[in-house]
Amino acid sequence: MTSEKLNTSTVESNAGYFLRGEKMTKVYSDGTVALKEASIEIHTHEIIGLLGENGAGKTTFTKILSGLLPPTSGRVLSPKGPVRFSSPREALDFGIGMVHQHFALVGTFTATQNVALSHERPFTRVQLARAEESLKALMEESGLHVPLDVPIEKLAVGEQQRVEILKVLSRDVDLLILDEPTSVLTPLEVDELFTLLDRLRSEGKSIILITHKLKEVQSVTDRVVVLRHGQLVGDVPTEQATTEQLAQLMVGQALDQDAGAVELSDQELPVHKERKPVDRTANSVLHVESLTSRSNTGDIAIENLSFDVFGGEIFGIAGVEGNGQTELVESLTGLRVPIQGSATINGTNILGVDPRHIYKLGVAHIPEDRWELGLVLPFTLAENAILGVHQWEEFKGPLSFLRWGKINTHVRALMDRFEIRAAGPSAPAKSLSGGNQQKLIVGRELAKDPAIIVASQPTRGLDIGAAKYIRDLLVEMRDMGRAILLVSADLDEVLALADRIAIMYEGRFMTVCSPDDLNREQIGLLMGGVEREEARV
Amino acid sequence: MSEQSAAKQSRLLRGVHKTVTGLNPVLESLLAGVVGLLIGAILMYIWGFNPWQAYIALFKGAFGDSYGWASSIARGTPLVLTALTFSICLRAGMFNIGAEGQMMIGAMASVSIALFTLPSGIHTIVGLLIAASAGAIWSIVPAILKITRGVSEVISTIMFNWISRFLVIWLGVYVLVDPIRAEKTLSIPVAARFPVIVRGTDLTASVFMAVGVALIIYFVLWHTTVGYEVRAAGLNPTAARYGGIRNKRTMILAFLLGGATAGLAGAALVMGLPPSYAIFSSGMPNLTNMGFDGMAVAMVGRNHPIGILLAALFFGGLNAGGRMMQLGSNAVPLEMVRVVMGAIVLAMSIPELIRLFPAIKKSIENFAGRIRDRRERRAVKEAGE
Repeated sequence: MTSEKLNTSTVESNAGYFLRGEKMTKVYSDGTVALKEASIEIHTHEIIGLLGENGAGKTTFTKILSGLLPPTSGRVLSPKGPVRFSSPREALDFGIGMVHQHFALVGTFTATQNVALSHERPFTRVQLARAEESLKALMEESGLHVPLDVPIEKLAVGEQQRVEILKVLSRDVDLLILDEPTSVLTPLEVDELFTLLDRLRSEGKSIILITHKLKEVQSVTDRVVVLRHGQLVGDVPTEQATTEQLAQLMVGQALDQDAGAVELSDQELPVHKERKPVDRTANSVLHVESLTSRSNTGDIAIENLSFDVFGGEIFGIAGVEGNGQTELVESLTGLRVPIQGSATINGTNILGVDPRHIYKLGVAHIPEDRWELGLVLPFTLAENAILGVHQWEEFKGPLSFLRWGKINTHVRALMDRFEIRAAGPSAPAKSLSGGNQQKLIVGRELAKDPAIIVASQPTRGLDIGAAKYIRDLLVEMRDMGRAILLVSADLDEVLALADRIAIMYEGRFMTVCSPDDLNREQIGLLMGGVEREEARV
Repeated sequence: MSEQSAAKQSRLLRGVHKTVTGLNPVLESLLAGVVGLLIGAILMYIWGFNPWQAYIALFKGAFGDSYGWASSIARGTPLVLTALTFSICLRAGMFNIGAEGQMMIGAMASVSIALFTLPSGIHTIVGLLIAASAGAIWSIVPAILKITRGVSEVISTIMFNWISRFLVIWLGVYVLVDPIRAEKTLSIPVAARFPVIVRGTDLTASVFMAVGVALIIYFVLWHTTVGYEVRAAGLNPTAARYGGIRNKRTMILAFLLGGATAGLAGAALVMGLPPSYAIFSSGMPNLTNMGFDGMAVAMVGRNHPIGILLAALFFGGLNAGGRMMQLGSNAVPLEMVRVVMGAIVLAMSIPELIRLFPAIKKSIENFAGRIRDRRERRAVKEAGE
């Protein structure tokens, strides 16, 4: 398997590769250069790991390779001819299939119906029986098993992903592109996925695995391609590359000790070992007792949760997303009315209380979805900086007039303190980068001088620098004696930051303990719903 | 295409985006006005009129002398208020099509002050209060239907427009009818009328009220917590909820505010409309369409109180000057003015169309590229064989 850079190329050199991208460059209409002269050759029988930070050009790269996005210059070739399609369907016909992070499945349809749907042409008869037959054969062949007669929305995320993969495999693709497939899976499901990828490789398929997890790259891929700022900075056989080298290629320069450790050490994140002993005999800041809430669909989402969060500690909740974390956070921040239980902040009830009153009790809420919940995107920085506190005395004058002078001073202070890079207080929030948007939210929330910070997926989608900055802030707040409830799907983040962790599964805590009490395998089992006693075995 | 030329081209595209869309709403509205007038001109030409002469007559009539200015401002006055109705609700994330009905209810409510006497000045204020409250109360039902039952405010307010129209006709014919002249309602007593500012025209002091209300709405929306909450809820209700904003409350509030301004528009059309200071029950010529025209004004004014003031003056001018267009040898029917207004509203969507241009261009490029590829692929295949 070769991995030399390709400079010469002719269409005629037939065998040996499945797809070849030559000097692919993409400039978007807003002037962003997403990809700069990237060249790559993809072979059969090969798994390629595609590494890169957020915004490194991974998505553009794969879109061009799969023929869905015409490059501004350069071209994509295959032995069958040039590669350019106007729809994913055409790409599938050609033999290129992509599994996105967000599945393209109809929630109310069964797996069979979803797969059949992807085969149908407009105005033809749907042949469900035949689809089911071939799908069963495919499941047998690939070892991927999913229930066929259950609506997709009732399936676990891992199963949904399997349906998505089956859907693509059923089109008999030669190149399978997987976009961060493991971010929604439990460790066990990840293992199963990798076994499958192995088998597909042995059948002669090519696979591109987009990820930012170095361990995954090393455990399953043959070759690693690293993108940085739109440039292809590395293309090496996996066994020849050390984790350190890859991390360095990915982020460009040697990071300082702390941030470097983010991707390098076995733990992947700096553990804040200087944990101070927390006095858990005193009164807790947040006290929750037998809290039960429904989800939007009316099912019980969290059941009988009881826990305390004390001042000076980070209480981390780990678990695969969709196991009740969202409902728990919403119940504690006034966005959802629970059906049973009690929750108090320093003795005052917060259940069913309007968010603006909860904020007054000293609750800061960093929401999981910064575009939907955290910000009003068309609003200016200043307008967003007072969301939730706009009724507070310092910003509101007589006749409920807003004191724009004071607000702007406040915003400038926030921009200084939290390193928010923006044109000024009147810049629209949507003009900010993701990291700066999150810093704006975090700054606004911490400026409330909170007793407790509820942080939900606080670093999702951020680059390493911004993520580290926000993690450091949380630790700083902890050291100042604030209570912090950290909910994150990023297990490494929870393990590194939390003083105590709870593993959440199907609305319950599988365990509450110190992060040092469990090894990763045990955590993986607990996240997958295996009880602790069994997990010990 | 080299990387450089690609970057250059994208910069150029971005330049187009900035001037015609997004950046400059004033330019967009001006462009729409010009295109509307052009379409009107083409139609006039087809029908054998001289558009140039017609427009000269129109603009002379509208802004040629103090009489013209006064008439234009007078006709723009109620439009300011009904435009505010639409804009306030739009800012809160709702389409209130009910300004027409709320305005009529407000107008008839203001007639009721003819039933009693008060000192002048106070009588006017009482009249305005009654009209504003009537408009506001009338808008409560669609608002409540929306927040409790999820009824679309578009449907309910349109239905309410008809209910109000015939309710007002009934009131005008049977209840508040002038005992001497049955074709009209009672007239507003002299003490309560808005005084005429320019003698010989129908421009009254109601214009100060309209401008004042526009300024107040501006301050409420951009400088108070109430307006902040309304705008936040309109732009992103989920984030507003997170920010402790009660969305149902802001909806009701926006509807009430909008209803009140519509009611005031009705008051301006009765208490400030010489010579009759009354409603003519048959067809209600002075009221009809004032609510709907307000929506056009709101759109051209970009839903901003200051923009609305300017747009209302323009539309008032079209209405006032349109009468002059009918005179003389080149007598263009008044309906042509409404054609122009309609064309302007349609032309407001031009920026959206321009935004589509890059997309259209891209799909053409894509198509051409695919044809090229197919040819190449075939060539490869043939070479292989």
